[in-house]
Amino acid sequence: MTVRALVIDDSRAMRRIVTGTLEGFGYETRQAGHGQEALDVLHEGWVPDLCTIDWNMPVMDGLQFVNAVRANPGWRAVTLMMVTSESEHGQIVRALAAGAHEYVIKPFTADAIRDKLALLGLLPQEVSL
Amino acid sequence: MTLTATRFDWVRQLVHRESAIVLAPGKEYLVEARLLPLARKMGMSDVDSFVDSVRSRPRPDDTRSIVEALTTNETSWFRDGDPFTALTSTVLPALLSARGPAERLQIWSAACSSGQEAYTVAMLLEDAMPNASARVSITATDISREMVERTRAGRFSQLEVNRGLPAPMLVRHFQRAGSEWEVAPNLRRMVTARECNLAAPLPRMGPFDVVYLRNVLIYFDLPTKQAILRRVRELMRPDGWLFLGAAETTLGVDDSWSRVVLGRTSAYRPLKGA
Amino acid sequence: MTVPTDSGERRRAGDRPPAIAELIDEATVQEITEQAWLALVGEDEVLVPLPAPLPADTLSSWVEIVGPWTGSVVLTCGRDTALALTRALLREHAPEVLEEEDVDDAMGELANVVGGNVKAVLPGPSVLGLPETGTTPPPGREADTCRVDVLWRGEPLTVSVQSHAERENEVPL
Repeated sequence: MTVRALVIDDSRAMRRIVTGTLEGFGYETRQAGHGQEALDVLHEGWVPDLCTIDWNMPVMDGLQFVNAVRANPGWRAVTLMMVTSESEHGQIVRALAAGAHEYVIKPFTADAIRDKLALLGLLPQEVSL
Repeated sequence: MTLTATRFDWVRQLVHRESAIVLAPGKEYLVEARLLPLARKMGMSDVDSFVDSVRSRPRPDDTRSIVEALTTNETSWFRDGDPFTALTSTVLPALLSARGPAERLQIWSAACSSGQEAYTVAMLLEDAMPNASARVSITATDISREMVERTRAGRFSQLEVNRGLPAPMLVRHFQRAGSEWEVAPNLRRMVTARECNLAAPLPRMGPFDVVYLRNVLIYFDLPTKQAILRRVRELMRPDGWLFLGAAETTLGVDDSWSRVVLGRTSAYRPLKGA
Repeated sequence: MTVPTDSGERRRAGDRPPAIAELIDEATVQEITEQAWLALVGEDEVLVPLPAPLPADTLSSWVEIVGPWTGSVVLTCGRDTALALTRALLREHAPEVLEEEDVDDAMGELANVVGGNVKAVLPGPSVLGLPETGTTPPPGREADTCRVDVLWRGEPLTVSVQSHAERENEVPL
């Protein structure tokens, strides 16, 4: 089983880190620098199992992206995981209410991503330290 | 100064044996950095003398603290979550039908570390029963005073709440407290934390309906494992449930338990008349 | 570290935004920065709380926070340190040759991570801006700054949570 992830973050350093972590777990990945670019990838027909989503980005932010994905019934199977430095209690509530499934607060370690994927049933292979 | 090769190898083998985690060659600096605080606590100025002293007279407390210092940055909440799934799916319904409505359920998180296990149980029960805080009491014990105090405080760093705690549970049961997160007061009231050395005679506690004793026995030799299991059984209700770590079992250690398979995990129950 | 000169002005006007010293302390900023370093830069990348003079050639990255308190969170270190930080952050994902854009991006992301967590400690709701990088960070009010000086791998680095200079004469929200 190949699991696909779209990594959405305006920082290319962060995209490289998240992408590298997911590829280490056996994921096939693509990247987007903001929400609109990510929507373009989905419209193109590359619908992933997982999107990791930064909140603050130019053009279209992560919360708008979550709303846009949730508005399209064809994308219901996509798991949405925020990965952001927005870390107020209220912001996490907002993201979950909009339809995000999980929330990773930056800074995070690779272990934190792995634990969340395990919770979501999206860890294709058990990986040791 | 870096650790000599023989000492590093000894630490590597210890960590691998106890945790299955491999410390790659070249990680001497990490061992050095993580063990120096332990060495100082023992009144030694360098890691070499500390390692020598533990090698010549290994004590479970010391080996455990070495392994913990090198393996756990943050304890994960729900990683290896099967013993928690079994709690709400099987154990709790069985206990609720066996106990009277006014009877308190008592749960023990043994070797609780900074309290994640105790609060995980508290959260699950709070979500599963309408009046959990009135019906359940959770005892969390650890040998380390520092860990007991941390458990009592119920405060966790950003990095700690990132580790395997489902976001809906985080927002339901925690509030921000400065740069940390604090467990809700009703959950904190369910948990009593106290110091306890499992390898010595246990204080008066219980009787417990459920005991979580996970990833502790691995640190002890066979006679101590047997003594701990016997003492734990004495503090349990006859129809109680014991959960061990995924790599641990009572089989071949103490034959007064029966093993019950619960989904992908197992629980151990005191054998009648044993 | 220079001793801040306190004009005492902010105490005269009751309707001014709160002073940063009333909202966050150095220990909290240090804690937030350390967690970012341990998680992102490396598990044994400790920050030693010792002030040391910054070199002449520095790079800063910052994010703006707008809300009940408005200001910036600014990271500053030597250019060579910024390069080393970028390599440490990217680890095996680092390209062979680091471009200036990589360094700006990595430094900006560190400011975003520290800034987002600082924002969560401050009274809200607040909005976090996108990170910027350059040699000259936005001017802050020195008397209204919470600044932490640390050494990373022996090199100086500062984190400042500073109220905006121009807010001095503005009418707060």
